[in-house]
Amino acid sequence: MLSFIARRVASGVVLVLTISVIAFLLLYAGGGDIARRLLGEDATPETVAQKAHELGLDQPLIAQFANWVAGVLHGDFGTSWFTSQPVSDAILSRLSVTLSLVFGATVLIAIVSVVLGVLAATRRGWLDAAVQVLSLVGTAIPAFLIATGLVLVFAINLRWFTPTGYVQFAASPSGWLASVTLPVVALSLGGIAAVTQQIRGSMVDSLRHDYVRTLESRGLNRRTIVLQHVLRNAAGPGLAVLGVHFVGLLGGAVIIEQIFAIPGMGQVAVTATSQGDIPLVMGLVIATAILVVILNLLVDLAQGWLNPKVRLS
Amino acid sequence: MFNFRKRLAAAIAAAAIAAIALSGCSGSAAGGGADGAAAGDGTLTIGTIVASTTFAANNAPWANESPYLQAVYDTLLHADPDGTVQPWLATDWSYNDDDTVLTMTLRDDVSFTDGTKFDASAAAQNLLRFRDGTSPQKGYLATLADAKALDATTLELTLSAPNPSLLSFLTQNPGLQQSPATFGAADEKTNPVGSGPYILDKGATVVGSTYVFTKNPDYWAPEQQHYAKLVMNVYTTPTAILNAIKGGQINGAPLTDNSMISQIEAAQYTSNGQQLNFFGLLLFDRDGSIAPELADVRVRQAINYAFDRDAMLTAIGQGYGDVTSSIFSPDSSGYDEDADQYYSYDPEKAKDLLAEAGYDDGDITLTMPTSSGFTPATYALTKQYLEDVGISVEEVNVAPTSFLGDLLAAKYASTVMQLKAAPTTWETLTLDLLPSAGWNPFHTEDATVAELASTIQSGSEDEAAAAAKELNRYIVEQAWFAPFYRPQQTYATDAHTSVETQTGNAYPYLWNFTPED
Repeated sequence: MLSFIARRVASGVVLVLTISVIAFLLLYAGGGDIARRLLGEDATPETVAQKAHELGLDQPLIAQFANWVAGVLHGDFGTSWFTSQPVSDAILSRLSVTLSLVFGATVLIAIVSVVLGVLAATRRGWLDAAVQVLSLVGTAIPAFLIATGLVLVFAINLRWFTPTGYVQFAASPSGWLASVTLPVVALSLGGIAAVTQQIRGSMVDSLRHDYVRTLESRGLNRRTIVLQHVLRNAAGPGLAVLGVHFVGLLGGAVIIEQIFAIPGMGQVAVTATSQGDIPLVMGLVIATAILVVILNLLVDLAQGWLNPKVRLS
Repeated sequence: MFNFRKRLAAAIAAAAIAAIALSGCSGSAAGGGADGAAAGDGTLTIGTIVASTTFAANNAPWANESPYLQAVYDTLLHADPDGTVQPWLATDWSYNDDDTVLTMTLRDDVSFTDGTKFDASAAAQNLLRFRDGTSPQKGYLATLADAKALDATTLELTLSAPNPSLLSFLTQNPGLQQSPATFGAADEKTNPVGSGPYILDKGATVVGSTYVFTKNPDYWAPEQQHYAKLVMNVYTTPTAILNAIKGGQINGAPLTDNSMISQIEAAQYTSNGQQLNFFGLLLFDRDGSIAPELADVRVRQAINYAFDRDAMLTAIGQGYGDVTSSIFSPDSSGYDEDADQYYSYDPEKAKDLLAEAGYDDGDITLTMPTSSGFTPATYALTKQYLEDVGISVEEVNVAPTSFLGDLLAAKYASTVMQLKAAPTTWETLTLDLLPSAGWNPFHTEDATVAELASTIQSGSEDEAAAAAKELNRYIVEQAWFAPFYRPQQTYATDAHTSVETQTGNAYPYLWNFTPED
């Protein structure tokens, strides 16, 4: 087990390194004149050159990358060129915001899709058909459309929630809940659709197996059979899809954060990338890569817990 | 047999009840309007479209970041909404005979929030640091040779050449006063110390998205503090601004798109309009370096006659704005009604001029760089009007990240662009017309412009004003540009807030936001 984790961590490090190199090159390829963009159209060419020199943009690519790596190894991720905030501060403060959205969505997806998937698989009939249709619709409609619709109905017309902004949990738990409910719902609908289908499918499949009949003949009631035995067997594929979706949620959060003006990693990623705020983008790339590596590891471990057959020992 | 259905229904009902119960608490989350009973007790919540890049006064930008800086810093002088310069930290001033030495008398009763006294030495240091810093407007103090404190309340500025806009500049970022004790501090860019009406609340601020300021209790001009707290939220997309307005979350915000006006007015918001910029064709290559045809004034004039400006305003600007043939703002000394409406829509005249210059239908191909900053309709219309008079257009798509840089590097002979219509004539000269101007990328020189510029720079007020109008007429007749219209810039305010827009600035000045009940 430990050697498995160690191997995964090592490959994770290599992955993060490779991604940083690629990201750095891409940023420079698409960079354009960052100093000019920072200072705007009225600045004189001399000012722009002075700013470029200050930011190190007039040095060769390798030198800039080497400087950045040297800083990172000392724990210094640099300062945002467009907000003057230390990159590590910027990312850490926004990480908790995005993670609360993404974890909230994951939990919601997990609960709702298990409920719907089990219902659809055990009850069949019209309920099954309804769940399948809803899943199809949920997968087809893009998240931003749903988000815009939710804002219009629930925030602007009904005034149940706030249309933009984020309240820290520490500042006001009820305010926090009011500000994350719509974004989390918008974020999870696509995932619910996909994972529900997956769970329904594997449940239907598992219910056909012989052991179910055996357990019934032993006198166990239906509820125990479904929840304690069949679900555990069927959950594996569902968990895998959920794991893939979690990574997708990080990307979906970008759009949702823009629409709801939530100060998360997604929003700052879009702004920083379009502005060419290299230190911040590199920091975000590393943070996201590490997050995904950790997540994949956790999903693998969870699969092992669920299904002894894939455990490593 | 467990009844899952009942459980599910119960869960959904519980969640619905909880949501309804929570909605009662949601109102407090995002901050309401100016809800204080007495004036000066409420909160002003406004939207901005960019985060603060830096609070360090020597590198400070202005325009859309002016509210951040005005909250915490004072400037040497203040400007009225129409641009008239008023005393502020400097109470009196006078130039010497040739306008190269400005002597200013400063207040002696102002201190920064860290206790440091504001005096002429602090002012001199701030000016020199701005001149040597990396602010986008650093060029405003390019002619500042030296700044000295003659005594605690007397400041002397020595200029290498007269600067007719200097006093106006001192009402903006070059005039910002930061506490000298914080010069070079490690957190200078994110932790401002000024003498201004508000203090940054670092605990409540989320850098890049929400900036919170609280009233400075020791402020020397309390009559300008209309609120107890300021909240500035950064909205990166027009949708977010619109939703914040429709949800009643903010007292004011700039509209990035005039198509939003009807929607915000439906939400009981007022649209406060002003004209800040001009929009049209910039005909850079007047010397004909890469586009020889543009060296002929008849070709440039033909381009001006080719456009139906009213139709352009309706189609692209939704009718919000004024058509114009000139790049001079109505607020500047160079404004001239005849120059402003010089060109009519006359495609026949355009064709005649082109023929006179020796060009037949299709002889001229204008290369037009296109960017995602302007709508496809803009380029389609521009191309159509030019092709109607026999000028072909070749569109070249430029990445938004390189657009400005490429234009200013003289890669293209002409472009569609929106630029500032500066509130002072001297700024128009230094931004667009002089050989050294950034927006004269080919550095074209002209003897008449140089002569008029000299009068505007060093002449008496009357001589300068006359020369400014003459300059405007000359530039229009020589067709250095083909402006279409001055678009309306709109600032939305809710029913509780009234505001006065500031000439030449994208954002109203902070002290002009007042609660209204």
